[in-house]
Order: sequence, then structure tokens, then C-alpha cells
Amino acid sequence: MTDDEIWSAIGDPTRRRMLDLLLTHGGGTATSLAQQLPVTRQAVAKHLGVLDRVGLVQGAQSGREKRYFVDDAQLARAAAQLSSVGAAWDARLQRIKRIAESIQRTQQD
Amino acid sequence: MEFGTIEREIFVEAAPEIVFDVVSSPDHLKQWWPDDAQYEPVPGGSGEIVFGDLDADGMAVAFTVVDAEPPRRFSFRWTHPSGAVAASGNSLLVTFDLTPSGAGTLLKMTESGFREMGWEVALLEHQYQDHVTGWDFYLPRLVTYVAKLEARP
Repeated sequence: MTDDEIWSAIGDPTRRRMLDLLLTHGGGTATSLAQQLPVTRQAVAKHLGVLDRVGLVQGAQSGREKRYFVDDAQLARAAAQLSSVGAAWDARLQRIKRIAESIQRTQQD
Repeated sequence: MEFGTIEREIFVEAAPEIVFDVVSSPDHLKQWWPDDAQYEPVPGGSGEIVFGDLDADGMAVAFTVVDAEPPRRFSFRWTHPSGAVAASGNSLLVTFDLTPSGAGTLLKMTESGFREMGWEVALLEHQYQDHVTGWDFYLPRLVTYVAKLEARP
């Protein structure tokens, strides 16, 4: 499984909402998720399939339905990649600030 | 969290004209990001930014100016294949929006295009080391070191 697949899985707003709900409630089934979302149970099941394939959720049989949980490690891996790009920009912006402010001070002198 | 875009805001105690110059001119760009930068800072101006030494294992990355409205906005696309026209789907779009605020400037940076060009590729492009990273690491240590020396009787 590639990072690209993880990111396209996580890129969909409905699937992000589903991850939020699964995290909040400590898991859920296609039926319980469909009750909290403006989409059908079939659509939810399909989205869960996508998330399952990239390892963002894991399913365990519970009675007649599968109960899904968020895979914390996989989600953290995806989030860490994005935050490393953000951290690089934080550093660049600090440098922009330093350079601009030193020019401003020079012009005031 | 929005996964397709990175947004940052920083207050700079300098006039928008100065901040615009720092975020847009190639000479300034290489002070805060790549090792070298060659492009005309006007809309459509295209060129490249260089990370590392091209004679060794350095890398030149395509860079095209999208918008240049001093002192309010500067935007560019980067990481598109060399020679290709920069567009959504083949490059990352970086936009700097500048707003006067008190005696300084509120600088907002947005980078988008990750989802459109594919995450794996987009994140890979960010692996280029900012040449200044070393200084960010060493400078604070140097300051601490000097402070320690001065504190000695």
C-alpha cells in the first residue's frame, strides 16, 4: 500500500467525517455510522472498504455486522507526513520574518 | 484538519513593501529557502530553484510565478516537470497574501495542490533540504554557547 492511496482515502470529506466519528465513539459499524451521516448504509460500507484497504481502519466481526476501529498508528503516520511539510514552512516563514525585519530596521536607521 | 492545503500566518514587523520584496525576489528567496533561484518575479515568469550543488547530487526544480501584485500578493507554482506549463495537477501552488497591520504586515502563506498532484509525489518534493536548515539548528546553539562564555567571570 502506498502513501498515495492513504492520502486519497483520507482526502474524501465523508471518509474524514467517518474517521472522526470512529475516533469519538471508539469504533462503530456501517449501520451506526450511517445513522450519523447523510449517506446510505451501502455508501458507508463502501467507504469503510476503502479505509480498510489502506489500513486506516480495522474491522472485527461482532454479531451480524463488522465493527470498525481506527488504526492509530496508520493515522498518525499520515498526519506526521503532513505536519513535517508544515514545520518546514514554519521555519521558512520565521526566516522571512527575520530578513524583512532586519531590512526594516536598516531603513529606519 | 484540512488535508489538501497547508495554511500559515505570521506577523512581521516590517512594511508590506519590504515583506513583498523578501517573499518574491529571487535574491531574497535563496536567503530563506533554496540555494539558488532564477526567475523573473512577474506573472508568467518561469525559471528554477536549485537545492544543493548541481555538480554533485543537487536538484533543480521548476518554478513559475502566477501572480505578482505588489505589495499585496505573490504566488507561484513549483515542482512541475521542467518545460511543462505549470497547472493544477502537476505542481504545488504557494500563495503569499500580505495585509497591512499596525506598524507591520500580516503574512499569510497557503500551499495547495497536494491532493491534485498525488500525495506521494507532492510530499517527496518536500524532501529537498532547505540549505538553511543547518543554520536554524546551529544558530540557537551558538547563541547559547556565546551567552555561556559571557556569563563566565
